[in-house]
Amino acid sequence: MPRAIWSGAISFGLVNIPIKLYPAVSRKNVSFNQLDSRTGARIKYKKVSAADGEEVPAEAIIKGYELSSGAYVTVGDDELASLDPDASRTIEIEEFVDLADIDPLFYDSAYFVAPDKATVKPYALLTQAMEESGKVGIARFVMRSKQYLCAVRPKDGALVLSTMVYADEVNDPKEIGEIADLEDVTLTKKELDMARQLIASLSEDFDVDRFEDTYRNQVLGLIERKAAGDTEIIAPPEAMNEDKVIDLMAALEASVKEAKAARTRHPAGAPEAEEEAAEPAKKRARKSA
Amino acid sequence: MPDRFVEVDGRQLKVSNLDKVLYPETGFTKAEIIDYYVRVAPAMLPHIGDRGITLRRYPNGVDGTSFFEKRCPSHRPDWIGTFAGPGDRNGTIGYCALDSVAALAWSANMAALEIHAPMARGVDIESPTMCVFDLDPGPRTGIQECAEVALDIRDVLDRLAGLTCLAKTSGSKGLQLYVPLNTPHTHEHCSEFALAVAQVLEKHHGQRVTSVMKKTARPGKVFIDWSQNSRHKTTAAVYTLRARPHPTASTPVTWDEVDAAASGTPLVFEAPAVLERIEEHGDLFADVLTVTQELPSPGVTV
Repeated sequence: MPRAIWSGAISFGLVNIPIKLYPAVSRKNVSFNQLDSRTGARIKYKKVSAADGEEVPAEAIIKGYELSSGAYVTVGDDELASLDPDASRTIEIEEFVDLADIDPLFYDSAYFVAPDKATVKPYALLTQAMEESGKVGIARFVMRSKQYLCAVRPKDGALVLSTMVYADEVNDPKEIGEIADLEDVTLTKKELDMARQLIASLSEDFDVDRFEDTYRNQVLGLIERKAAGDTEIIAPPEAMNEDKVIDLMAALEASVKEAKAARTRHPAGAPEAEEEAAEPAKKRARKSA
Repeated sequence: MPDRFVEVDGRQLKVSNLDKVLYPETGFTKAEIIDYYVRVAPAMLPHIGDRGITLRRYPNGVDGTSFFEKRCPSHRPDWIGTFAGPGDRNGTIGYCALDSVAALAWSANMAALEIHAPMARGVDIESPTMCVFDLDPGPRTGIQECAEVALDIRDVLDRLAGLTCLAKTSGSKGLQLYVPLNTPHTHEHCSEFALAVAQVLEKHHGQRVTSVMKKTARPGKVFIDWSQNSRHKTTAAVYTLRARPHPTASTPVTWDEVDAAASGTPLVFEAPAVLERIEEHGDLFADVLTVTQELPSPGVTV
């Protein structure tokens, strides 16, 4: 079960219903870690000063807003906290609208709204009333120091909240030249009829279950195959040529003998021998294991 | 040298770069490391084979970067098993089970110079089979001071509860004392007990002992690391090589040797010497697996 990420209350008119928000979606991306190809070690990010390349400790890092190139106003976390929009823990429904009036472009993230144990009844009441009226509640609330616009709607007996982007956050498509140029295009009736026929022939009822992430499945398949048949360290036994397989100790013998002989030729501690021996040894040590 | 398919212990595996020097100061090669682990296996396997192992790998030798590998690599051969053990955020992950000569050869070929093991067996990770005192010498102290503290701990354990303990070098700078239990205990119990003993020693020998991990508390003192008795911690396993300038190994030692070390005799063993000692004395750490003892009940004032 996902964990609640916000708790507070939905209010409309005089009614106040304590609720919790749970993520409605669990993303299933395949995530990769970055590794050093030479050692297999994980890649680590360091925050360094642009001035001298030295690492900067976390406690020394502050926020700055760039005014003009290179000129900054610094802003403290406490100053930002005092600006928090309305820090009250309330999803205040300001109006009810028709679902079809909201363009899907505005939807951002979806959350399930769960009732508090003590307030199951008012929650159920609001849900059913909204279902019957076919309306969607529009509200604003504050989560993680940001004020969100959101739509609250009933779905299968529960409430779903979708955060929305603000109108001024949506880019104007007319700023995209290729889209603006569409105004100059003329279409004939014949062309349009053909296109309509094509659309009609491909029309279906939407069933989301018929779609799955085929790319993700391919990536996972690739990973599984590589993991099972690693060629770097172990070849699967059936791929091995019986003739080539020799006893490990026999394979080691020559190498161990050679290493010991090298030490006798250049005993550790003899300064001139050290110089000769250490150099190639270090060079060799950098190759992959 | 090209990769080679080899057979060991009825298993086939691929070894690579056998002539690669992983200890540049002494010219000790990967072939010698694999050779050591194969030869030490009969003594080592009973101590590590049934535990979830953390590997510390040094792909570019002891002077290069290293990484701890808790999660057993997914590219392991199918005959290398795993034990579920503590992972991040309360989850579990599969740790390598190094339970055969071939498995040790495999990990050695991955330049896993160091093998670290938890106090509990893989089948019952909540029950430590032994309790450890990891003696870590602070600046300006060394094995001699560790040996003095080891003798003190031995005496306290004996007087207090008639407990036997065994000593091994860490293979690095310090010494480790193991109290065999082999009876039901919890990690918390072992941890509390070890802390209590550490604090007693600190009280009586505050000049040379500390029970506090803080680095500033350590100069001139031996840190008795009691916190190794935690379910998510591992300690350098007996007979593991260490990534030091020389190929030294964690070596079980007799109390006579600890006595001598307390008077200044060096107590360091490199791989070939460890193999000779096993030939001569057998596994000096065997009692850790068999002796059954019980720690005093939790809450008892030491």
